[in-house]
Formats: sequence, C-alpha cells, structure tokens
Amino acid sequence: MPVKTISLIDLKEGQKGIVVSVLGGYGVIQRLSDMGLTPGTEFEILRKGRLCPVEISIRGSKLVIGCGIATKILVKAKK
Amino acid sequence: MKKKITIALAGNANVGKSVIFNNLTGLHQHIGNWPGKTVERAEGTLQHGGYTIDVMDLPGIYSLSTFSMEEMISREYIAKGKPNVVINVVDATTLERNLFFTLQLLELERPMIIVLNQMDLVKKKGISIDIEKLQKFLGVPIIPVIATQGVGIHELVDESIKLVKGGYKKPKKIRYGKEVENEIEKILKTLDGIKLDYSKRFIAIKLLEGDEEIKKMIESIDPKIIRIAERSAKKIQSIHGHARPTILACERYKVSNDIVKECMTFETTKATFSDKLHEITIHGVWGYLIMISLVLSLFYLIFNFGNFFSDILINAFTGMTPAFEKIFGIGIVSKLIFGVIEGLVAGITIILPYIIPFYIILGLLEDSGYLSRIAFLMDNFMHKIGLHGKAFIPLMLGYGCNVPACLGCRIMETQRERLIAIFVTTLIPCAAVTTVVLGLVGKYVGLSWALLLYIVNFMIIFVLGRIAFKVLPGEPTELIMEMNSYKIPHLKTVLKQAWFRIKDFVYIAFPLIIACSFLINLLYVTSLSTSIENLMKPITIGWLGLPAFSGIALLAGIPRKELTLIILAAHGGTSNFAAILNPIQMIVFCLVMMLYIPCVATVAALVKEIGWKKSLFITMFEVVFAILVGGIAFRILSLF
Repeated sequence: MPVKTISLIDLKEGQKGIVVSVLGGYGVIQRLSDMGLTPGTEFEILRKGRLCPVEISIRGSKLVIGCGIATKILVKAKK
Repeated sequence: MKKKITIALAGNANVGKSVIFNNLTGLHQHIGNWPGKTVERAEGTLQHGGYTIDVMDLPGIYSLSTFSMEEMISREYIAKGKPNVVINVVDATTLERNLFFTLQLLELERPMIIVLNQMDLVKKKGISIDIEKLQKFLGVPIIPVIATQGVGIHELVDESIKLVKGGYKKPKKIRYGKEVENEIEKILKTLDGIKLDYSKRFIAIKLLEGDEEIKKMIESIDPKIIRIAERSAKKIQSIHGHARPTILACERYKVSNDIVKECMTFETTKATFSDKLHEITIHGVWGYLIMISLVLSLFYLIFNFGNFFSDILINAFTGMTPAFEKIFGIGIVSKLIFGVIEGLVAGITIILPYIIPFYIILGLLEDSGYLSRIAFLMDNFMHKIGLHGKAFIPLMLGYGCNVPACLGCRIMETQRERLIAIFVTTLIPCAAVTTVVLGLVGKYVGLSWALLLYIVNFMIIFVLGRIAFKVLPGEPTELIMEMNSYKIPHLKTVLKQAWFRIKDFVYIAFPLIIACSFLINLLYVTSLSTSIENLMKPITIGWLGLPAFSGIALLAGIPRKELTLIILAAHGGTSNFAAILNPIQMIVFCLVMMLYIPCVATVAALVKEIGWKKSLFITMFEVVFAILVGGIAFRILSLF
C-alpha cells in the first residue's frame, strides 16, 4: 500500500521522513536541492518553533526552513 | 622579479574561509564591494617562496547556480578571472553537503586544492575520514587544516605553489549517472569549436539544468544548441520525473553520498557542550529569555562604553576651543574652520565609540553561530514585516545606531531582501533620536507620549515594510538556513574584518559629515539661516504648525540628530523648551525628526551598500513622508 504524501510541516518533532517533491518556483526548488533536499532523501524533524520554522537534520547537516516553504515540501512519513 | 599568482578561496558559508583568508594575508587586505554590486569583495596578498600571492576570498555559497548574486559573481570570477589555483574550503564535519559544492567547482575544470577544515571538530564528533581515499575519488590534492589554530596553512601555500609550478593537469572527471552523462555528451558535441570562458562540461551541465544566464550566453552564439539541450533536458526529466533543477542536484548528491560512505565512518558520541548549548538557546522559553537578556546587556554595555568614550572625546575637543580661538580669532574664517573640525569630531565620536563596537558584536554573534539561533527564534515575528528571521539582528542594531545596522543587512541573502531590510532599518529611531524624544516629549509632555511615538513609529515600519515587500520585484525568499554548530569565534578574524569593513565606510562617511557640518556653519556665518528659515516657513509654520526656528533645527539634525535639540535651544533662546514649544509642537517635531532623513553617516552607509541612486530615493522618500505624516499628526492632535 502506498504511503500517503503529506507536507513536511505535518510531521512531528523527532519523526523521520523522505522528501518526495517541492512545490514552488525554480528558485526555491534549486535552493532546497542545493542544500540537500533532493527527492528520495531521508531527514528527521529536530524541532519546530511555535509551529515553525522547522529545524531538520539532513545529509549530516542541520537546516532551518521557514513556514511557507515547509508547507510546500511534500514528504512521506517514515514508520 | 617576483612571480605573481592568484588564488581564490571558495566554499560554503561558515566553513572557516575568512579565518584561512586572515591567516594567509594578515594585515595586507582590503574589503570592499564587487563593482556595482552589494557583494563583499575581500582581497589580500602574501609573500611566500619568491612569489607574490594574491588571495581572493569569494563569498560563502552553497552552489554555482543563479540563486544569489554571490553565486554568479563567484562562478564568473573563477571562469573569467582565471585564478591560478581555486582553494575549496570544506567543513569536514558536514562533508556530504560540502562535497556537493566541490563537485560543481570540479565541473569548472580549474586547478584546485581541497582544504578539509575543522579537523579538530571531526575527532570530537567521532568522525574519521580516510583522506587518501578521498583524494583518489576527487583527483585533486587534499590538505587537512585547523584554521583557528593555524595548522596546515603553510602546507596549503606550498601545495598551491607546487600546483602552479607543476603545470595544470585536468583532474579526473567525476561521472554522474549514465542517462545524464549521455545527454551531457550530446550537448558537448554541439559546443565543439566554440571558445568560452567556462569549461565545456560546465556549460553543458548548466544548459541541462536550464540556467538562465548560461542559456542567454549560448543563445547569442548558436540558438540551435539551446534546442538540443532543451530536448535532452526533457528526456532526462521524463526518466527522473522530478523538477528540472533537482535532476543534477540529485546526481551530484548521489556521487557525494557514495564518496562519504566510502571515506567516512561515524561513531556515536555523547552530546557535546555545543549541542547542549544549542538545545537551550533555541528552546521555546529559555531561548527567548536568553536572547532578550543577552541583547539587552549588550546594548547596555555598548552604550555605557560609548557614552564614556564619546564624552572623553567631546570634552577634549571643547577644552581645545579657547586655544583655537586664540590662534584663529573669532572671525568668519575661524568659524568655518571650526565647522570642519566639529564635523571631524562628530565623525570620530560616532564611529569610534558606537559603530566599531556594534560591528564587532555583530561579527561575534555571526561567527559563533548565535545569529542562526536568533534567526530561528524570530522568524515568525519578522515575517509580519515582510522579512525573515535573519533580519532581526540588523533591525535590532538599528535602535543603537543605524550605520552598523545598514552595513549588517548584508547577512540577508538576496538583493531584494537586503534592500527591504536596509529600507526598514533607516526608519528605526537610533539612540540619538531617543535622546531627543526623551529630552523633549518625554520630559515636557510625558513618558507615555514618548512611548506612543515609538509605537506609531513601529506601526509605520510595519506598514512600509509590507508595502516594500509587495512592491519590489523578484521572488520572495523565505528562511532556508544552515544551522551550523556553535564555535568559539576567532577573535582576530572578527576584529580584523570589523576594521577593514569600517575603513571602507569611513572614506564615504567622513567627507559627508564634514561637508554637512561646514555647510551648516556657513549658513550661520552668512546669516543665510534666516532666509532659509523663511524659505521653510510654508512647511514648518504652514503645514507642520511649528515655529519658524524649528526649520534650522531640523536641518542641523542631518549631520547628527542630537544637534536638533541643541540648535532648538540656541534659537529659541532657552533650554526650557516648554517656553518655546507647546506639547503638540513637541510631538510633531519629534515625529518628523524620527522619520525625516537618516543622518548623514547612515546615508553614507546606504551609499556604500546600495549605491547613490537608491540611497537618494530612500532619503527623498523619507523626507517627503516625514513631512506628510507630521502635518497629518498636527491636524489630528489639534482636534483635541
């Protein structure tokens, strides 16, 4: 059964996920993939500020992502 | 004669590039801007083994795409400036992400050395790296370095010279996936016989990625190539099924991941002190408390230090006045000379005690990594004025002094964000404005009215910030920021950077401040001041409801805003302001003074950051806006 695609912002602190795709302009997509958020990459939600921004751990480094962008990153939750 | 070579330092932000740059160049450096751009250009020289080596510290970037001006400048410099050696500084603790950038640099096919920096942290974090293996994979020399301790710097210079002496051999090419390589091959064929600054492989890859700049360049040579490249891109896109910019990123990260898997091993270690500090300072409650107390105590410290120092300077200056009058007499010429000296002193008493400390603090916050935590904590709030978390620091500095705040807006990534942040910063009432507001409205009308002025000012910032956010062209960017580990800031680098950055500013600011001060004294001496007062009457009396002599007081605030109060007293003939201004006039006067023009030192900072045209526009806008708001306030207040 395929796992449902959700927004990165819907994951809870400590939960792991896999990047599916990013909605948005080429600028944002480019930037995110430059920072390591390419489709198929595993990450972990380290922290959410009061709602956001979100701090994630990906490819051995930590990234902070603003609210608006975080909602546009589609992911699959990892069990 | 000595032989000359050029090396360029390239790498991600926060990898210790500037520390290496400082280790290499010492005091022989110059920090300015790239011609016509708001991007910092740091250059220095060193002498070694019979060579004069020019070192260029390129801005910290994550990619060679067109996301930011920094990225474009860097790749253009490497391709067109043809430095003899490109030194790629890599943070050994986040190798996978750093190698992503390394792979792009390799695509440019320039002579290259990789510096594995922060080798001390690598051990602490339980990471071990097989450097020999890594070197084999990448095909370029790798030098382990601990920049903060100066370890490996000598070897780096020797290796650079060796590379130049030995002649350049193309490094082994890194291969991406088969489908992508096939298409690169196809595009490469079309580029045969065309002479370009960039390597052909780089061009082919950028055409696949759909890089607008490169596309434009090739289109002017042969549009057919673009058509072929677009076909190739479509083909790969249909195989991969992802957005175009991610295709090559995926390929590079795959290679990078493979390399890391082969060359790096992790051991789980206990949380380090830096990790614990991170946890507390980013905490939903503690984080804010720590931030507020830290920021307040820094302000307190700087102001006490600044006031103390500034008082000494001013006292020394006033002490010299009688002696000065003895030499030059009390004539017109002497007054004019005095104006120049006054300007000089004003400049020194702003820059030494206030701007330099503020700038050093900004450097320390940035270098230690605390800035990223503040950006995290303040992101939501800053979004409301059309900016993101990183802008909080320059804005906060603005309440102290607008100059370092303006210069600090460089931490914003895109030109668009930088401009919004700078604009908003110039509207923030600095410490000098606060002195006037408290001394006039606070003392004679009431503290609650002074507070109200600040609230109104904040609302104006909020509204204008939002409008600038809507009006300015370009894609709005949100926070995408690396959360780097805490580091002990490298004090020497921070101090040197503060100094070399301010040096550049001083060249613009001093002539402006001195000229302003001279002009205002000239007005007095030639008694032009009365005619100017008369000229300003329609605005001061007619629109703002202020007495005529307030016109000259407002003008006097241009070099330094504290002067408005002094001139007001001098012209009104008393320092009991209640005798010369009614409460409404005081409020209107302060409101106009808060908004009307950034002081001349700030204008100089604006010019340095965004050029004359935009600076003049912002300045003019604020003058008109302040007068408009002042007049409206006068009419509203008169209703009661």
